[in-house]
Amino acid sequence: MRAATASPIPPSSPSAPAACRHCGDPCRTPIVTEDGTFCCTGCEAVFRILAAHDLGAFYACEIAPGVSQADAGTRDGGRFALLDDPAVAARFVHGAGQRDAIATFVLPALHCASCVWLLEQLYRFGSGIGRSEVDLLQRTLRVHFSPAVISVRALAERIAALGYEPLLDAERPAAEIPQSRRDLYLKIGVAGFAFGNVMLFSIPQYANGGPLDPEFQRLFNTLNLLFAVPVLVYSAADYFRGAWNAIRGRTMVLDVPIALGLVALFGRSVVDIAGGRGEGFLDSFAGLVFFLLIGRLFQQKAFEAIAFDRTMRSFFPLSVRVERNGTSEMTALEALRPGDVMALRPHEVVPADATLLDDRADLDYAFVTGESAPQEVRGGAAVAAGGRVIGRTLRAAVIRPVSHSRLAALWNHPVFARPKARWLTTVTARFGWWFTAGAVLLAVAGALAWWPDVAMALQVATAVLIIACPCALTLAAPIALGTAMGRLGTRGCYLKHPAVVLDLGRINAIAFDKTGTLTSASGDVQVRTAGLTAEDWCKVQRLAGESVHPISRAISGRGELVGQVSDVREAPGCGLTGCVDGTRVVIGRASFVATEAARLLPAGDDRTWAVVGDRAPGWISVEIEARPGITDAIRRLASRYRVWLLSGDAAHERSRWERLFGRQLRFRLSPEAKLAALSEHQAAATRVLMVGDGLNDAAALAGADVGLAVSDDTACLVPACDGVVRGERLQYLPEFLGYARLARRVIALCFVVSIVYNVLGLGLALAGRLTPLATAILMPLSSMTVIGLAAGLMRRAARELPA
Amino acid sequence: MSVIVLLIVAGGLVAAGFLGAFVWAVKTGQYDDTVTPPLRILFDDTRRPGRPPQP
Repeated sequence: MRAATASPIPPSSPSAPAACRHCGDPCRTPIVTEDGTFCCTGCEAVFRILAAHDLGAFYACEIAPGVSQADAGTRDGGRFALLDDPAVAARFVHGAGQRDAIATFVLPALHCASCVWLLEQLYRFGSGIGRSEVDLLQRTLRVHFSPAVISVRALAERIAALGYEPLLDAERPAAEIPQSRRDLYLKIGVAGFAFGNVMLFSIPQYANGGPLDPEFQRLFNTLNLLFAVPVLVYSAADYFRGAWNAIRGRTMVLDVPIALGLVALFGRSVVDIAGGRGEGFLDSFAGLVFFLLIGRLFQQKAFEAIAFDRTMRSFFPLSVRVERNGTSEMTALEALRPGDVMALRPHEVVPADATLLDDRADLDYAFVTGESAPQEVRGGAAVAAGGRVIGRTLRAAVIRPVSHSRLAALWNHPVFARPKARWLTTVTARFGWWFTAGAVLLAVAGALAWWPDVAMALQVATAVLIIACPCALTLAAPIALGTAMGRLGTRGCYLKHPAVVLDLGRINAIAFDKTGTLTSASGDVQVRTAGLTAEDWCKVQRLAGESVHPISRAISGRGELVGQVSDVREAPGCGLTGCVDGTRVVIGRASFVATEAARLLPAGDDRTWAVVGDRAPGWISVEIEARPGITDAIRRLASRYRVWLLSGDAAHERSRWERLFGRQLRFRLSPEAKLAALSEHQAAATRVLMVGDGLNDAAALAGADVGLAVSDDTACLVPACDGVVRGERLQYLPEFLGYARLARRVIALCFVVSIVYNVLGLGLALAGRLTPLATAILMPLSSMTVIGLAAGLMRRAARELPA
Repeated sequence: MSVIVLLIVAGGLVAAGFLGAFVWAVKTGQYDDTVTPPLRILFDDTRRPGRPPQP
């Protein structure tokens, strides 16, 4: 008998460590100097650079404003070498002369006033560097430099040395400024210009008390019309486009009432003016568009802030095995650098563009192309990110760093995004229809009630159409859910879509997978074997190394594996067969091994069995400890939700889990049986969250109302799930769910606020007390209230989440 | 009447001038970043070079 014990995760230090002078992080291994305490040599180095350049004022604006350099040592020194390639460098440089060129870098670490100050002093850090400008919102730095003196690569290295790692894999060229925002400003400018001038010519007509001299009247009306036309065709174009698309596609219908109101105002004014019956409503029309656009600008800014949160700071919680200096270790995707050699097991996804080091490999590019037939790749050829490894482990050298947004795009590939009924979309669609119909009916009814007075009728109808805009639905939900998704992402729970937050808040039962979910192969593992020789055990370990199943990972351990593997075949939830150095090896549950290797094994045995060649079978018992904190988490979840355990494994650990789950335990479930078990409960109006590792419960993850895949030490991107949780963060599931429930309550609150506002506004509008202009001012105000409430409350609550 | 027309034309020209200035400001990127410049004025600046030193 042999025992192989993996080392447990080191416990975190109980006493609060000192804060780093540079970055403010707690110092686990403090470096104490006379200038202060630092958390790592990287932080100390940056502090020294700044002191040497007389830039100590960096620490004066904010307390410990620096960027932690704790992982600086793991970065590859030559990672900027690709900037020597003129084609690559050209993506960062524009306006290139020999004397003065401008380089733009995206620096995700930029975060405060001190960063701005420091990076705008960049010219002090070397000759050839000129003026530099930071855009804090876009996280970009523009540097004037002289290419004859300093190369782009050297420039990037200078910036990185200060602790601001330039993003070399920016999805959009950093120099590109979002054109839509400039367009919006221009539209607002034109609308404001027209509004001011139209008001100028309208005031005499109001102030005069009686009708104006016909000559003036005609002149003013003509001028007003001239000013109003650009507002109609340019500034308000988006509303008409939106409404037109909505009518054609029958999807989003919230621009329709606004467009209707605008057409009514403008058309009526033209008819009035042409018929010489008065001055029309062009002042209201121009003002309305002006204030609506201002509301839209505010909304766009709020969304940008959220998008920024999401793109820059949350990473896919996946990791790959990287071979460095003869040893291999699990590395988080964001720490992967060009040149690293990855060993990817079957089922894992190639996270970054790489070159194949093996002779050949099979990859499934369904993620990228939707085509599921495997492709053969020859040694030395490029392997594009997004391929899923088939057959056996491959080794590949990373060419480009991981692009998280590209992974996200793969994950959201329509081939896999089997439409799940999202509560938000159903509600929005239904509500949108009712709402538009209701608003139009109400406007018509209001107009009819005032009918003999045509001017009043039109004013009431327009005011109703404008004021009824449901800002709670269009603004509160995206803002609250987007904020929630971003905050959960930074805490190790990465969701596919903001609407998942809402569904997460509505579940009332949770089903857990056991192995790999509640237990972790990277934690404390006890492996005992009997009946296998040392040589055979090595072969078994080698074959197990080809699988990402938690038990296989426990068997293969963390040591170096030797031997040639071929013909690997994995039966999910059953076992694994393959040839190691020409000897056939079968590992798996008793029934699987009995069939595959044609041996007689005790029926109903719970251990894992292995047969090597034609030798006698041996058994392996793998005991994987529960993740730290998980039992407590389940206990807390059980007080609110129904919790079940759906395991594909044997029942030998039953007693351990019975205390937590009571009778809701089911073992030996095939992937199909797991799905069937879920569907049973779903039929009984239960909304189920499935938490699994995605290996043999992919169907259940897809079938559940929300499927969360737990990931540790693998690069398995489960396409069917709605979110990925980092393994060690699973213990905070109760907090995550609590936060998701809060998002629901915040949205409900916004609804109440907005309904109160709408009812008040509609009442006033129907009574004819509200001019369209007044509604146009009130509407952005209510939108701002709702946005402020949604974003503010979600951010506040996020502070309570475990960091 | 003619005075008013003159005033209107003059007023319109002034307003159009401001609109033109606004369009220019937007097109040259002055509205692209409204977060950093307010921070920038808080720093005591020593020297701000326009171009990099010539080789």
